[in-house]
Amino acid sequence: MMKKQSSTKTMNPGVYFLINYAVPTIFTILVAFAIPLSRLSGDYFVRELMIRLSRNSFLILALLIPVMAGMGMNFGIVLGAMAGEIGLIFITDWQIIGISGFLLAILVSTPIAILFGYFAGIVLNRAKGREMVTGFMVAFFMNGIYQLIVLYGMGNIIPISNTNILLPRGYGIRNAISLLGIRQVLDKLIPLEIGGILIPVATFIVIATLCVFMVWFRKTKLGQDMRTVGQDNEVARISGINVEKTRVLSIVISTVLACYGQIIFLQNIGTMNTYNSHEQVGVFAIAALLVGGASVAKASILNVFIGVILFHTMFVVSPRAGKELMGQAQLGEYFRVFVSYGVIAFSLALYAWRKRVEKENERKKVMDYRKSILVK
Amino acid sequence: MRKRIIIRIALIAVLILIGIFLYTTGQEHTVLIDNKNIIVNDNTYNTSTVYKVWVDNQEIGVIEKDKRMVATVTGVSHKIVIEAISNQVLSGEKHERIFKFKNNEGAVINIPAMINSLNEWINKTK
Repeated sequence: MMKKQSSTKTMNPGVYFLINYAVPTIFTILVAFAIPLSRLSGDYFVRELMIRLSRNSFLILALLIPVMAGMGMNFGIVLGAMAGEIGLIFITDWQIIGISGFLLAILVSTPIAILFGYFAGIVLNRAKGREMVTGFMVAFFMNGIYQLIVLYGMGNIIPISNTNILLPRGYGIRNAISLLGIRQVLDKLIPLEIGGILIPVATFIVIATLCVFMVWFRKTKLGQDMRTVGQDNEVARISGINVEKTRVLSIVISTVLACYGQIIFLQNIGTMNTYNSHEQVGVFAIAALLVGGASVAKASILNVFIGVILFHTMFVVSPRAGKELMGQAQLGEYFRVFVSYGVIAFSLALYAWRKRVEKENERKKVMDYRKSILVK
Repeated sequence: MRKRIIIRIALIAVLILIGIFLYTTGQEHTVLIDNKNIIVNDNTYNTSTVYKVWVDNQEIGVIEKDKRMVATVTGVSHKIVIEAISNQVLSGEKHERIFKFKNNEGAVINIPAMINSLNEWINKTK
């Protein structure tokens, strides 16, 4: 068994590529089969993909910084999403609409996101090596706090005057909130239509700006520190880097970006599911990034866009493909959900396996070296 | 260290100011426009005809006698323009008023009162 595993590193480049990019390869094959099966028109397909690209990219980009800092996939972006939703609840209560409402939601939710990110960062620092599962649990824990605040605190302790968003009992926020006042304000800020397809230029400019920021950030002192921390905590510590602070900062930045990402996401949709909108954010964003060829230890901007295109193509075509293939759209949906969770499990297992193989190779090298010294 | 604190406080102050600016310029207000009779100091001012209404240069529509229309506006300062319609043709007789809102305010505008330049032409609501 060991012999088999350690041989993976020396196998031919094609097979090595397939192992490294197994997830995107499988997804590309799935998508290639599903697109013709779905019988969707090209126009519809491009329109849907354009919407999803603008809607989701920012959220997925928020995952890159913790990967850089060696903290894996940040399931804690759910906290950022909650902060964004709190901002949106406030602007809906104050009846602030248009781009002013969008910007005010960002402004209001930023300190909340910083606070949530700081809390998550501190918790994750106490669980080094198990950041992902801890992040997942922190998200569940904070979801409870969020529900307590929104369901009992708002209208009771936090004043809410807009009866349209309050539950009939006088406190607590309704299950669904209409964001009609800010619906697609960013998407339609710079209107451009090509062949009947609306191109959300402003949203793409914001996403592009974030990409530029990411590239620039890697070159800054803090970015370099994060990369060092990501490679080896002890080496970073010896180099004089405050490892704990750097890790907390990476989570804070990621949470704040996720908060903005959720606001961009919800302004596109135009409705907010107060108690559920944030729940799946982490899982779907992480699944998309992994589909794009990223791993727990390495993720790039290119992975984000490949991931969004492949993963969301699956979203678009799977219900129709399921209907055409088996007569039930629901089956396609089940398949999509199965694939979303499956891809995370598969990527994590693959990563763990690769890590073990690499460690085994390292160990073998050291042993061989020692043997050669002894023989001499 | 002190310089850094001052910069941070200044930054927070700027962000708060931006927040206040966004709050005031982005708030939505509801304006109800009545083309109904109004009694002021025991004098009755009757509605005489049909009017076309614009608020902030946006056409709201044609308001019949004894009817009410709703317009939503954003920001602090607004302009309402009405023009009488006689025999289904715009008469050219325009009336214009400027009004302002405070936080969480709405308004009921009465067209006969507005035409007769009464102070009661606008009634602010919370």
